[in-house]
Amino acid sequence: MIVGDLLEALAKSEAEPPRLDARKFLRLSGKTWPFIRPVIKHVITLLIAGAVSGVFLAVLGLVALDLFNNKVLVGERLQPVQAVLLGLDESYVTSGAEDEPPVGADERRTVRDRLIVWFGIGGLVILGSIAFLAYYGTWVRHRINQGLRVAMIERAEHLSLKYHSHARVGDAVFRVYQDSAMIVNLVEEAIVGPLVMLYALVVALVMVSLFSPQIGIVCVVVAAPMVWLTVKWTPRIRRRALANRRANSDLTSRLQETFSAIRVVKANRAEGRILSRFNDDSHRALNAAFHLRLEMVLLSALVMTLGGGMVIATEFVLAQWTIEGRDTYLGAAVAAFIGFAIWNLGAFTAAREQIGEAAGTGYGMVRVWCMIQDLFIGLDRAFFLLDLEPEVADPPRPAQFPTPIRQVAWRDVHFAYEDNEVLRGVDLVAEAGTVTAIVGATGSGKSTLMSMLLRLYDPDRGAVEFDGVDARRLRVDDVRANTAIALQKNVLFAGTVADNVGYAAAGKSLADVRAAAHVACADEFIEAMDKGYRAELGERGGKLSTGQRQRLSIARAIVRDTPILILDEPTASLDARTEQRLLERIGEWGRERIVFLITHRLSTIRNADRIAFLEDGRIAEYGTHDELMARPGGRYRAFVEAEAASSEAA
Amino acid sequence: MSEAAAAPFPAEAGRERLRYDDRVDLDTRITSAQALALMGRSLKLLALAPGLFAAKFALGFGVVWPTLLLPWIGKIIIDNVLLGRPFGETEVRYPPFMQPIIDAVEGLAPIEIMLFFAVLYVVLLLVLGTRGGEGTGAGLFEGADAATNAENQISSGGSEAGGLWGIAEFMVNVRLTQRLANALRTRLFARLTRLPMTTLDDQRIGDSIYRVLYDAPMVPRICYQLTLEPFFIFLMAFINIYLIQYTYGEVAPELIWIAWATFPLAFIITFPASALVRRTNQVKRAAGAATTNAIEETMDNVQAVQSLGGMKREAERFAERSRESFLRERYALAVGIALLVLVLGVMIAAAIYMTILVSDKIIDGEMTPGDFAVLFGLFWGIMETATGIGSFWIRLQEPVAALRRVFFFLDHPVDEDRVQGEAIGPIEQGFALEDVGFRYPDGREALAGIDLEMPVGEVVAIVGPTGSGKTTLAYLLPAFLQATSGRVLVDGRDVETVDLDALRGQVAYVFQEHRLLSASIRDNLLLARPNATEAESERALADSACMEFVRQLPDGIDTVLGQSGDTLSVGQQQRLCIARGLIRNARVLILDEPTAALDPQTEHELVQGLRRRAGDDTRLVVVIAHRLSTIRHADRIVFIEDGRVEDIGSHEELMAKAGGAYRSFVELQGG
Repeated sequence: MIVGDLLEALAKSEAEPPRLDARKFLRLSGKTWPFIRPVIKHVITLLIAGAVSGVFLAVLGLVALDLFNNKVLVGERLQPVQAVLLGLDESYVTSGAEDEPPVGADERRTVRDRLIVWFGIGGLVILGSIAFLAYYGTWVRHRINQGLRVAMIERAEHLSLKYHSHARVGDAVFRVYQDSAMIVNLVEEAIVGPLVMLYALVVALVMVSLFSPQIGIVCVVVAAPMVWLTVKWTPRIRRRALANRRANSDLTSRLQETFSAIRVVKANRAEGRILSRFNDDSHRALNAAFHLRLEMVLLSALVMTLGGGMVIATEFVLAQWTIEGRDTYLGAAVAAFIGFAIWNLGAFTAAREQIGEAAGTGYGMVRVWCMIQDLFIGLDRAFFLLDLEPEVADPPRPAQFPTPIRQVAWRDVHFAYEDNEVLRGVDLVAEAGTVTAIVGATGSGKSTLMSMLLRLYDPDRGAVEFDGVDARRLRVDDVRANTAIALQKNVLFAGTVADNVGYAAAGKSLADVRAAAHVACADEFIEAMDKGYRAELGERGGKLSTGQRQRLSIARAIVRDTPILILDEPTASLDARTEQRLLERIGEWGRERIVFLITHRLSTIRNADRIAFLEDGRIAEYGTHDELMARPGGRYRAFVEAEAASSEAA
Repeated sequence: MSEAAAAPFPAEAGRERLRYDDRVDLDTRITSAQALALMGRSLKLLALAPGLFAAKFALGFGVVWPTLLLPWIGKIIIDNVLLGRPFGETEVRYPPFMQPIIDAVEGLAPIEIMLFFAVLYVVLLLVLGTRGGEGTGAGLFEGADAATNAENQISSGGSEAGGLWGIAEFMVNVRLTQRLANALRTRLFARLTRLPMTTLDDQRIGDSIYRVLYDAPMVPRICYQLTLEPFFIFLMAFINIYLIQYTYGEVAPELIWIAWATFPLAFIITFPASALVRRTNQVKRAAGAATTNAIEETMDNVQAVQSLGGMKREAERFAERSRESFLRERYALAVGIALLVLVLGVMIAAAIYMTILVSDKIIDGEMTPGDFAVLFGLFWGIMETATGIGSFWIRLQEPVAALRRVFFFLDHPVDEDRVQGEAIGPIEQGFALEDVGFRYPDGREALAGIDLEMPVGEVVAIVGPTGSGKTTLAYLLPAFLQATSGRVLVDGRDVETVDLDALRGQVAYVFQEHRLLSASIRDNLLLARPNATEAESERALADSACMEFVRQLPDGIDTVLGQSGDTLSVGQQQRLCIARGLIRNARVLILDEPTAALDPQTEHELVQGLRRRAGDDTRLVVVIAHRLSTIRHADRIVFIEDGRVEDIGSHEELMAKAGGAYRSFVELQGG
């Protein structure tokens, strides 16, 4: 297995790597600005606090080291500032004379004891600042991520159903959850971190060059293949990073789809098959994660080997120079400050440390570079969702929604899903105070036609008009605030009965909810439940029968008290008695409103004032039941007769 | 099990439930004993990958030894190369494992010694990556929450070594981690898909996703924390102690004991917090799962959300959940930070005490200043080991919190547990219900006193007002639900005693709510029957009146459906679901309101198709319906109301009963 993995990693991949050039990096970083801006003060504070505490610790460390090593352990006298810090009198302070007598053992102990007090205080300060910075940093990261997550959800909710019919739910979960999280690392890890490393690298190279320009040049020369390797390797890493995110997104989708279709799985005894599919997806995701990491490890290993080789080779040369006692590049120029005029042990150790530093920093940069590829691929996926423009959008200067509304009209409306043309020039007018039944064969586009009243879709051609105003000139929220729909799929949300009925109507009282439930004939069964309106519904309302769910959906539409109401197959799962009662109550409730019924049931259709028969994407017939039945050879009449025949035939 | 466990603490359970709308997994507390048991069960997973585990162990063990050489080689380079001193000048003894190297280089000129080591270094670099950098590993950036950490958790691995060794150990380790985590998450997934229907009603989809994808990956960490980690901690501790004995034997014992004293200290101060760590981590994961629910629910029902104008509300709900989840992440983090500070505080205190002790000796002239740095380094090393062991328990609590969420569902009873069934052959006679009653766990009575025969060869229609218990009754047949009183018999045997696979394998159930997978139409059919032939698929499509619209689709039967089949109309989806029921060609076919969303013409075709199917005498078809046109052709009509059977008979028989429940039902529908 392991060998196979390795071979696969080395094989050339044909897939096109995702494009990520400097401009795209910049553009993606720029897009994060609106989410970082609200907390930019905190980000800067965090960076400064980190830097300050680092410097502060380094300085204090040096002072303490000097005090402890030279003064306590060796017995030298204190500098004046040190005496002040420790609260000691002048007898401890150095006079600067060469032949100063060392301080006595008791005094050294005093110095030590006071120093220990400072150690204690310093320890507390360090611990305090570690704790504070860790919590504060997380708080800032959470704020940034929260902003992006919420923006993504809002965008996803506003995308038209055309998008959603092709997108997978699990993919949205993955983008909002996993891809968006990459933003928290952008500032510290992808921008500031590499800059700090670059600075450290330059400093180390300069230091090395001061000791020996030749070695400095060697370092730079060795860096060239490292950079070349990294550049060559980057597309591979990007490809793997994208594949990893895709595979994990697919896995999330698989899970979501399985659990939402779990009854079907059980009914078909498909648990075993679903499990093996999950196992396949799981392995695909794990392999993707593995191969991404393996690419990173292989590149790191190559770079580390180059760097390590350089360190070993230069060390050998330096050792030779030290044995010979050769002059360093700076030579006598630095002799006054430090004893590195010639190559000695100190110079060797210092130079080797700097070379190691340069190699280590270079290696670290390569590592971070790999991680940054994945970070930007994550961000790219997050912003892909955020950048999608909803097809149904508010106009720049929206018109007022007409109130009270007198009529809605479809004018020569055309609409297609992909190549599948559903509506081919629908003309239909419905007046306030009427109930219009939309009738037609399964799949004839009835639901699509009604969806346009909500601007779930906009027509490809033609227009939907509210009192003569094109829906596209109205704000989406206004349109939806004036139209309520009870969907054919009775979607309920987890929560109580009252939550679900009041779902789309903020600020409705329980009395309103009860009234709506009454109209929808839902009050009877709700009140029969243990907790009544406060009863919890299961996942997706699973504890209720379909007929009960249907009536809750209807109540949910009614409680909104909108001038336009659409009921999509409201009576499909109801028994005849309930059906008639419901239609009666709706007729009464809808006196001043425009009501649409989409239905197949003859007993329901008969209750409508007008009937629109939809066929071949057009309104084939329109009129009252009696008018349409009077047409010999009429489409509606044929439909009714077919219904009657199938009931009669025994 | 959940109800029983939750019972003693209803108040607390109630609060949690309100906040995270968990309705299955309510009692989330774990005692230390339970935590220990969870660890034991996690550890058993290692048995799944003994080879990889042994390889990881051997590779990790092997790399300890060469690195021991490095400080001593460094010393030789300084003393004998750079300073040009001969060997054996000082008292310091080399450890025995250095002897071969010293034998090799003793007597060589300094630059020759250097060359020897340069060659040795290059070999070590290629094999072990020594001096190349800091070992091998490849983590990705992650967010500041448990869900995004999971990706790194499930593929974590690395090596102290670099070079070829490092690559090999890395690969072994990542594969080991993945295998452990995958084993657990696959088991969890399998278990979740087998939960009883009543539990599934309450289990949130987002929560299941969270448990499988983000909780289960914590298991490898526990396995390593219980095996490799303590082993290597102790190994390094012993090596350090051995080396100190060799060099600073006289002063060290005291220091070693001081350093080791931090072990009980760290344990004592962190142990009382273990319940707190578990709780904060549980809550953060519950809050994360609630956030996942919010996304999943919104996206899955986006049509409803948009058409009801609920976008703002849903976004606010998500924002609220997500904020809460992040807050809970920070609470858990704060507890972690507090514990870290406490342990570091202990270490600092011990270091200060050691400093006083050693500096006294130096001031008194018993030791030289140079000894301090060396001793301090050794002391710190031992202390890190000691506090590492002292905080061993507390570090296990975080993954334990995640694993309790996994094992909760592994332990949750599923249908298959109850039925260690007797095998049954093809159903010959049919079903019989004897005085059957059913109550939901929350106490609602759905069915009572049902006596009913459903013989093979008949079409049985179940009719009744909405909410009268029709679906509940039908669920009893394939044992989706178990009767709470009375017996359901299949071929004379209680369904609770027969093998579930054998039973459900013979029952095809088409649900009211149609759910298709985002896959091709063909795959949706094959889900029900993987080995169906082309002809069988086509026949099922034809019988369910699907052929016409399937032919019109661009890719025909291979058309890939969108999210939950949204590219088709509801009626078309429903017909496909029926096709999926038909293709199994099962002995028993249950159709739950198959024609509600169909126009009369389509319905007529469908009923004809079904009648063809039921034509031979080896099949039982159960139809739940409201429409007279569907019902009236049934051999037997069962009219139920309020969970009781009111009428049984054929259409004609029942219509002949003056004032019968069915008759008045029909008369009303006729209008």
